[in-house]
Amino acid sequence: MRLRLIAASALAVALGAPLPEAKAAGTLTIAQAQDPNNWDPIITFLLSWGAVGSNIYDGLVMRDEQLNLKPGLATSWEVLDQGMRLRFKLREGVTFHNGEPFNAEAVKFTMERLLGPEGAKGPQQSNYTSIGAVEIIDPYSVDIVLKRPDPVMITKLAGYGAMIVPPKYVTEKGSQGFGAAPVGTGPFKVTGYENKVHITLEPSGHYWGGKPKLDKVIYKFIVEPATQVAELQSGRVDIASQVPIGMIGAITATANLQLLSTTGPTVTVARFNTANGATKDERVRKAIVMAVDREAIVKQILQGHAKPVTSFQSTLSFGFDPAQKPIPFDPAAARKLIAEAKLPPGTTVSVDFASNNTVFREVAQAIAGYLTAVGLKPQARPFEMNLFTNDIIPNGKTGEMFAMGWGGWTFDYDNTAYLMYHSGERWNPYDKDPALDAMLEGQRTIADRGERQKALQKIANYVAEHALELPLYNLDTYYGVNKRVKGLVVPPDNRFRLIDVSVD
Amino acid sequence: MGRFLLGRLALAVFVVFVVTLLVAWAVRLSGDPSVMLAEGSGAITAKDLENIRAALGLNRPFSEQYAGFLVGMLTGDMGNSFMGGRAVSGMVRQALPLTLMLAALSLAASLLVSIPLGIRAAVHRGGAADQAIRILSLFGLSFPNFWLAIMLVLVFSITLGWLPPAGADGPSSLVMPVLTMATILSATNVRLVRTSMLETLSAQYIMVARSKGLTETVVLYKHALRNCAIPLITYIGLQFGGLIGGVVVIERVFNWPGMGSLAFDAVASRDYPVLQAVVTVLATMIVLVNLAIDVLYGFVDPRVRAE
Amino acid sequence: MNRLRSLEFILGAGLSGGMALAVLLSDWMFAGGADAMDLAMRLTLPFQSLAHPLGTDPLGRDVLARVILGGQVSLTVGLLSVAGAAVAGTFAGLIAGYYRGPWDLVLMRWADVQLALPFILVAITFAAILGTDMWKLIAFMAISQWVQYARVVRSATIVLREREFVLSAHAVGVRNHAIIWRHILPNAIAPVLVLMTLNVANNILLESSLTFLGLGIDPLIPSWGGMLSDGRTYLQTAWWVSFFPGLAIMLTVLGLNLLGDWLRDAVDPTTRSQR
Repeated sequence: MRLRLIAASALAVALGAPLPEAKAAGTLTIAQAQDPNNWDPIITFLLSWGAVGSNIYDGLVMRDEQLNLKPGLATSWEVLDQGMRLRFKLREGVTFHNGEPFNAEAVKFTMERLLGPEGAKGPQQSNYTSIGAVEIIDPYSVDIVLKRPDPVMITKLAGYGAMIVPPKYVTEKGSQGFGAAPVGTGPFKVTGYENKVHITLEPSGHYWGGKPKLDKVIYKFIVEPATQVAELQSGRVDIASQVPIGMIGAITATANLQLLSTTGPTVTVARFNTANGATKDERVRKAIVMAVDREAIVKQILQGHAKPVTSFQSTLSFGFDPAQKPIPFDPAAARKLIAEAKLPPGTTVSVDFASNNTVFREVAQAIAGYLTAVGLKPQARPFEMNLFTNDIIPNGKTGEMFAMGWGGWTFDYDNTAYLMYHSGERWNPYDKDPALDAMLEGQRTIADRGERQKALQKIANYVAEHALELPLYNLDTYYGVNKRVKGLVVPPDNRFRLIDVSVD
Repeated sequence: MGRFLLGRLALAVFVVFVVTLLVAWAVRLSGDPSVMLAEGSGAITAKDLENIRAALGLNRPFSEQYAGFLVGMLTGDMGNSFMGGRAVSGMVRQALPLTLMLAALSLAASLLVSIPLGIRAAVHRGGAADQAIRILSLFGLSFPNFWLAIMLVLVFSITLGWLPPAGADGPSSLVMPVLTMATILSATNVRLVRTSMLETLSAQYIMVARSKGLTETVVLYKHALRNCAIPLITYIGLQFGGLIGGVVVIERVFNWPGMGSLAFDAVASRDYPVLQAVVTVLATMIVLVNLAIDVLYGFVDPRVRAE
Repeated sequence: MNRLRSLEFILGAGLSGGMALAVLLSDWMFAGGADAMDLAMRLTLPFQSLAHPLGTDPLGRDVLARVILGGQVSLTVGLLSVAGAAVAGTFAGLIAGYYRGPWDLVLMRWADVQLALPFILVAITFAAILGTDMWKLIAFMAISQWVQYARVVRSATIVLREREFVLSAHAVGVRNHAIIWRHILPNAIAPVLVLMTLNVANNILLESSLTFLGLGIDPLIPSWGGMLSDGRTYLQTAWWVSFFPGLAIMLTVLGLNLLGDWLRDAVDPTTRSQR
């Protein structure tokens, strides 16, 4: 009996109502790599959550496609008490998808839930710990009171964890129920969800920011990037969010497809093991930086879908120094430096990376090619991703070089530099430099934006001077898109804003 | 016979028990999911990790965690996924039928092809048909399954546009995964059928059957096939584990939301409850298949029972 | 009939021998190694120039050099893993099948546990714990496959030890290990050889599947599986990057299997006598 039930349900899934074809008018289908399994904003950090969640929920403040802050559920805000109190004027007449009203009560509930025991189970809480209290002034005014200065708090309020949730519904359903059937104030409401298969959104009907042009949005979860492209090529999805670099050519060669790209949030560098091996020697590190032709890697391997960087941040980042000059590609000088370092014969230089990073898999081989050319003996070692980020790097078990991609959605160099270079930080298993520590700590206490920017730029130059890393590139965010999709602006933060998008 | 059955059953239970112990122990060696959960949140403090570990129950001693898992498996409560908190039993109930269907259809399709071909090859041993079938099966053995899958997608989805390249929506999406698996399986199965058929055909009773003037079809498909059925079933049973392994790769290429996909995600995110459940369920099924074969053997061959 | 058999041998030996020879000589043939990279020459078409007869890969490396040198890793992985598994499994199977008793119980129960574990899942989990390199891959394949040989040899041994020639050898006082070595092993070896030929091929393929799942070895060391897997995203734009390593796998596997079939007939007294 039970067996028959199982067989029946299998048949129902496999043979049952096929999903509407991507070609259906008004329906947009997006291939997304991962199902976060739970749509509750406080227990996730996945970009794939943001791609969907940003259409279901709103924050008090939001960011547009250029990542500029704009009013969201708050129409305006002011900074009081030397930055220790943020006062928000809330939008009136907004309701959640289930009819619950949005008001100061909902803001207070959301924040207290985030900062309370429920939030402690997830990764979002730690971004918001500088918040001391939420005080309701009147039904449509609310104060967020900080316990310590946090210059990026307003930006953080556009982040996942601060998405406003409906108090009554969440209390009724609990985290599990809410995560499986999420309700927000966003332009789209969830109408169907099958774990690891797809989630379907439809316009909520009364969005404060206008009416979406789409009738339906389907996100399909497809892990393998090549499979996403196959779905795109056969017209079953309109947007492939993961495109292997080897398949870019196949997409641009197809008449009805195009590749849309924008500057992405992630910067990739190969960091040096400054404590052991050949790279302990600053001359060797400098030689490696000179030996690798970043321009060629970007142009040839990444097909121009990246920009070379000079430090561990993108041009969009607060702390980027336009005056900082890249160390030029100069194999002859590199050879000379290596000769000076008098390395024992047969010294190997290992380039370690996470095995799921297929882009870097090719880049690592190119780096190895350049290192061979200047007389070093390279190795490339892929590690399983989780092992790499949880053991190999933090416990200082890497080879001479290890690849890291990093990009805080706050776009503030502090978010990278402090975690990468300050002694004792998780991502810094090797360096102990009091001078650098002092600079990193110092900039955090500077209230003046201009001064702080200068301090961050100084750090970036210091890091380059000591060759703590081989700066590589800022990879673009690029999508394979069917040309029937109109009005799509590629979001650098992977949070699709679909309100103005339409399909033919 | 009763004692034999009971012994085999006890053995099966023992094997599953050891498997659960191994799995629970191995996944915990593979790294801590709390760091994974906290990652991307910027600065992770020791306290954040402690909170997450406590929420997941990872701060309890191993014996306690293992006992909880074991009791849960017996009562059908497989716990909740670390990633998103969904009930694992629900996830398995969704994925298992899809995987079994894929495996069963592939096996059926493969037997449908390899039994007649294998018999033909055995009968015409050394002849042109035998050689052709053998070479064909060798080609089936000479490329990896993911490669075949990608080729099929290239031809049938991208070039011809006949079949969906991924997903589980409708019967058409079954065609390519089954075709891939069945091709690989057939390559071995043809050889197995041929070999066991050759042995059977040289036996006395086949000569007798032939001498009685029975038609060749009856001799082959009724008498000979029945007698080589048991070694065949044994081999197929042994293949079952490999079949499930192959499904992991195929499911990934075709984005088939079955047990393989579930397990793969679970390893990557160190989702202990899901991984434990998936491996235990699959291992139990493999053990049950082997148990069935053992019992079958016991009925047929008294020497096995005497053990 | 005999002509066909010898044709099979010539073809099988030719293919696998030729491949082995090329691989053995590869260090001398491509003294420069397969690492010479030239991004300006990336994805050169095959059959266009003598410098790169089979074209170049996305990093501008010579495909021919990489295919030939790639055989070193692939054949080493295939042969060593199978040799390890076959020796260990045959030994265990002989002991378990001949002596029965507690040895049989422990070995076969352990075999049951291993057979109940889906291989790929275990591989993924252990790669996550230990990381991967060529030797770990070989060890892992051997450890997970010895069971197959043990089961096959054990069941053959159980039947063989009841046969007259074994019983009579026993009766005239031949020692156990001599019986095993001289009477049981030669008669139980045929299925082992069949399994081995299948598994050498299988493990060459397995290496590529593991690379596909992201668990492969150092991508700088060329291997057929790695090249096949890495080249898959270029299939639509540069087919030669993965076609030639695929062809190398196919020919080698074909050769091994032909050789294996011939070998089986040569050593198996039962099939021989029927001819």
